[in-house]
Amino acid sequence: MHAEKLQHDFEPKIVAFVCTWCTYAGADLAGTSRMQYPANVRVLKFPCTGRIDPVFILRAFQKGADGVLVSGCHPGDCHYMAGNFHARRRFAAFRALLGFVGVDLERLQFSWVSAAEGGKWVEVVTELTEKVRAMGPMKEFKALEDEEQWSGALNTPELREAFESIT
Amino acid sequence: MNAKAEKIRVASIDPSYYQAVTDAIRTEAVKLLSEEAVVAVVGYLPGRRIGTAVPGLVTTPEQAQQLIFSPACVNNLSLYLTKAKKGVLKKGKVAIIAKGCDLRALAGLMGESQVKKEDIYTIGIACAGVFGANSDRKGGLTEASIARKCRECTVHQPEGVDLLVGTLPELPQLTALEAQELARLEALTPEERWAYWKEQFSKCIRCLACRQVCPFCYCEQCLCDKNRPQALESSPRPAGNTAWHIVRAMHLAGRCGGCAECERVCPMDIPLNLLNRRMAMELKELYDYEASMVPQEKGPLTRYQEDDDQSFIK
Ligand code: SF4
Ligand code: SF4
Ligand code: SF4
Ligand code: FES
Repeated sequence: MHAEKLQHDFEPKIVAFVCTWCTYAGADLAGTSRMQYPANVRVLKFPCTGRIDPVFILRAFQKGADGVLVSGCHPGDCHYMAGNFHARRRFAAFRALLGFVGVDLERLQFSWVSAAEGGKWVEVVTELTEKVRAMGPMKEFKALEDEEQWSGALNTPELREAFESIT
Repeated sequence: MNAKAEKIRVASIDPSYYQAVTDAIRTEAVKLLSEEAVVAVVGYLPGRRIGTAVPGLVTTPEQAQQLIFSPACVNNLSLYLTKAKKGVLKKGKVAIIAKGCDLRALAGLMGESQVKKEDIYTIGIACAGVFGANSDRKGGLTEASIARKCRECTVHQPEGVDLLVGTLPELPQLTALEAQELARLEALTPEERWAYWKEQFSKCIRCLACRQVCPFCYCEQCLCDKNRPQALESSPRPAGNTAWHIVRAMHLAGRCGGCAECERVCPMDIPLNLLNRRMAMELKELYDYEASMVPQEKGPLTRYQEDDDQSFIK
């Protein structure tokens, strides 16, 4: 039984970096309990939030993500004791840096979702997806990437077409 | 700004101050080397052109007579104890000349176990300031030629050193240009800031001088050189440049001593120290951490507290 599928003009790409012990299990629980959540999210599993390097978030945006979610065990529940405490500081600093460089922080969400919180996973993912959908595509990093391939200085329809066929 | 008035005020730094510091450094270096208390002294030697200085390693009392201190002594010498120069410390105890900002780097390196306190002898300089990059040095150290970092320096007077040389002359109050620029950027909208940094980063030619000169960029394999898998594009084009600058600022956050060497060596005049300063401000605000001239056991991003702010986490 499927809920009626809504048609949207824009389907955001959301990349979720999750820790395998809590959030991944939580997402799994949401799945096995047949809860519905937007299919926009691509889940990438890590041993611990402590392993989620800020450069991964950057790379996700560069490669076309419109929103990024980072999620792991609640403080005190990390299976490696302090991975998420360290990650929390690192992400706080990274957020400040992205904000200073001019990235809209609304596109980057952090959460604690335990293995028992299938419902919270659905809530977090749905909320971020809808927020990013309303914001529209993340253009900034994409533009950089395009400029990397093609400066746009020679702007002929043929080049544009050739360029679009490869990207 | 009335440049002339400023010049007169700053010119009141008596040249005898530099002479006195130079003499004190020479006396101490000669003493240390002839007593064999150290095997070498890392200091500044006169450059080939008048009014310039170059970093140098001296090993004999005769060479030590050549050491100088002048506003041209811009380099952060702590770099000469790490990385390619790591071997220096294996030969024995080394004395090193350090301005306040360089001392923060040394302290940081000690905190990160890259340098041992007992392996070095620090000669701290009560520092009045040094020249900025590309400044006109003809008139000596003036409002126009002083480095931006020195305008708002909080570490003129070194702490925790083995020997302190020089007496600080009276210093004029200079406007904090860097702080002003930071405040200006903070007041912009995210879009405007993105546009500003996009423009700045687009100038980068990825010479990596900023990395080579930074005492804390001592990783034997830098993330930005990795190609399997590649973490960030290595060619000097927009996406890779932006990623590089974000990664650089992130890797130095909570470690950077604020020597602004990265900004000084940048051939494209990218204001790297603004990024460093912004991160330092954030870490001060969040975790009450500040780079200091005495070693701290752990930096703000290598420790944590259970009740750290998590208002940004759902
Ligand atoms: S920042 Fe301070 S200690 Fe460093 S060179 Fe300038 S005045 Fe000297
Ligand atoms: S990042 Fe720049 S200012 Fe900070 S320690 Fe390295 S060279 Fe000095
Ligand atoms: S020194 Fe300047 S141009 Fe060279 S890599 Fe660093 S920021 Fe880019
Ligand atoms: S194991 Fe889940 S955050 Fe460390």
